[in-house]
This record gives sequence, C-alpha cells and structure tokens, in this order.
Amino acid sequence: MQIASQTLIKELTSLTEHCTAIVAELHQRPESQLRRRPTPEAWNALECLEHLNRYGDYYLPAIEKAIIARPRLQAPPPFRSGWLGNYFANLMRVKETKVKKMKSPADKNPFGADVNVLAIDRFLKQQERLLVLLGDAANVDLVKARVAISIAPWIRIRLGDTLRFFVYHIERHVLQAKKAAESRDEG
Amino acid sequence: MESFKDKLESLFNQYGVLKTFSRGDYLTREGETETSLYYIESGAVRAFYLSEHEESVIRLGYKGSIITSLSSFLTGRPSDLYIEAIRKTSTRILSKSALRELVNQDIDTLRQYTTLLEQTLIQQMDREIDLITPSPAERLERVLNRSPHLFQEIPLKYIASYLRMTPETLSRIRNS
Repeated sequence: MQIASQTLIKELTSLTEHCTAIVAELHQRPESQLRRRPTPEAWNALECLEHLNRYGDYYLPAIEKAIIARPRLQAPPPFRSGWLGNYFANLMRVKETKVKKMKSPADKNPFGADVNVLAIDRFLKQQERLLVLLGDAANVDLVKARVAISIAPWIRIRLGDTLRFFVYHIERHVLQAKKAAESRDEG
Repeated sequence: MESFKDKLESLFNQYGVLKTFSRGDYLTREGETETSLYYIESGAVRAFYLSEHEESVIRLGYKGSIITSLSSFLTGRPSDLYIEAIRKTSTRILSKSALRELVNQDIDTLRQYTTLLEQTLIQQMDREIDLITPSPAERLERVLNRSPHLFQEIPLKYIASYLRMTPETLSRIRNS
C-alpha cells in the first residue's frame, strides 16, 4: 500500500482514540463484568487488556527509540508498506466477517495470571503514550525508521507498518474485551 | 514523659475516625484528591505509582505508620499515587480540616505536626539516597536499619519493588 504519511497517522490516531473511548467506558463497569469469560478457556476483559499491556511494554519504548534515531522532517515522504510488515498488519486487522483465532506467545498470555483491575489504568496510560508517539511519528520517514519485532530481534519492519500492526492489534483485543464483558459468564 | 510517637498516637486515638479496609481495597486512587491522614493501627499498606509499564512501590506502611498521598494532601491537587491495603488494615483517619483545626488551636499540636513534617523530610532525603545507592545489598541494609521488622510485615515482592530490584535478586541477597 502507499499512503501519505499524514493520512496514515491520522487514521491510526483516530482508531487509537476510538479504542481508548471503549476502554474508558469499560472502566466504569463493575469489576465482575470485567472478569466474565465467554467460555472457560477464553480471556476475560482484564486479561485482554493485560495482553495488550505486555505488547506495549515492548513496543512503546521500541517505537520511541526508532523515532528518536531518525531526523525530523517537515514533509516526510509517502509511506509504502514492506511485504512482511504489511503481512503482520493485515494479520491483525479486524475484518467484517470473522476474526482469525491465533495463539499467543507464552510470555504474552495472561490467562490465569490473576490480572487485577489496574490493568485498565495501565492500558489507558499506554494509550496516552501511544498518541504522543503517533504525533512524533508524523515527522519522520515511516519507511526508513525501523522497529525490531518482539519475537525476532533480527527482523526489523518499517515504522509505518509497526504502527499499523500495533494499533490494529489493540483494536482486535479491545473489541474482544468488550465482547467478553458483555458475554454471559461461562467461566 | 510521652514520646513524640505516643503523643501522635493519642492524637489519632482521640480525634481520628476508625476505618477498616479489606485486602485489595484502595485507601486512595490516582486522580482522587487526598484529604485523609491515616494512622495504621494494624495491617499493612503500600503506596505506589503506576506508569505505563509497572507499579512502583514508593512507600510501605504497617502498624504505627502514618501515611497519606502527601503531595495531594498538602496541595489539593489530584493524587499521583495509589494506596492499597495489602492485607486487612485498620486505620484511624484525621481529615485535613480536623488536622487544620487541631494545629491552629493548640501550640503543642502545632509542634507535633512540625516534628512530623521534619521527620518526613528526613525520610525523603534518606529515600533519595536509597535510590541512587548502586549496590542492591546496601539498599537493603539501609532500609532494614530503618525498619528491622519489614519482612515480617510486608510480602517480599513489594519490598523488592520498593528497593528497585527483582524479587529473585532480593531472595538471593537475603540468602547469601
């Protein structure tokens, strides 16, 4: 895909704000709802958010590092996706019909880890940081700036694709969290 | 002659409101305005700062401690800290207004308040040095000198956070 840098950042910012609003609303609900499991092995809302927090623990500093390493540009060139980055980003996207089931790496799987309600506060702080980083990213070359992926440090994908992957991943699990909170507790 | 500590305790006994917290209850949450000064009669609490990436314990309190979200209490600004009961905790609470009244009406109480503030400042300076002490073992020693019974009152993971080390490192230091 090719897209103007500013347009991409705007879209991702909008999506981030949308996810923040969903979670801010969940924050108002009773804790019992946040612990509902749609099926016994499914994640509850808190676990969904903790999963996102763990990715944020890796990616937020990594994204910041990638931005700092690059020169500031008044008018960055258009963003073109790399094939691998595009693959990851599309993998995460929530499609109209169904959401693909995927296994998480063990250290990012919070199931049974007794996640407490502060996971929401932590997530909301991470979202604030993400908005700041998106703002900063608007002034760097999103192709030349690269971020090592969490599962393979020798693989570095374009910052633009990292941001897409990261934000779509958040959307995916935020929607999952909302669904879990509104499900009938089977767990 | 009553020690300063005893005087303070009787002040809380006389004017403080009793409140009990269950384990996991928050005395204060980030964003709330702190208007309470807590004297811990029994139990234990931790005061921590939540960042995007971790919960950092900055203060521990148990029997005999006085705790509050100090900045918020003094300035009226929203609290940056959470204070959580880490087990069932019984406290006596002096509200900000009650404290102000007491301090204004009685010079002895004013002196006690000043002494409490001075002690708190000294603790802050000690803590600042804790944080820049490079050796984990030395950080532990400094804190144990101030609070010898810490491990009997507080779970290891919170002490480790307070000391800015992993629970594994803390265990290793204790066992060596």
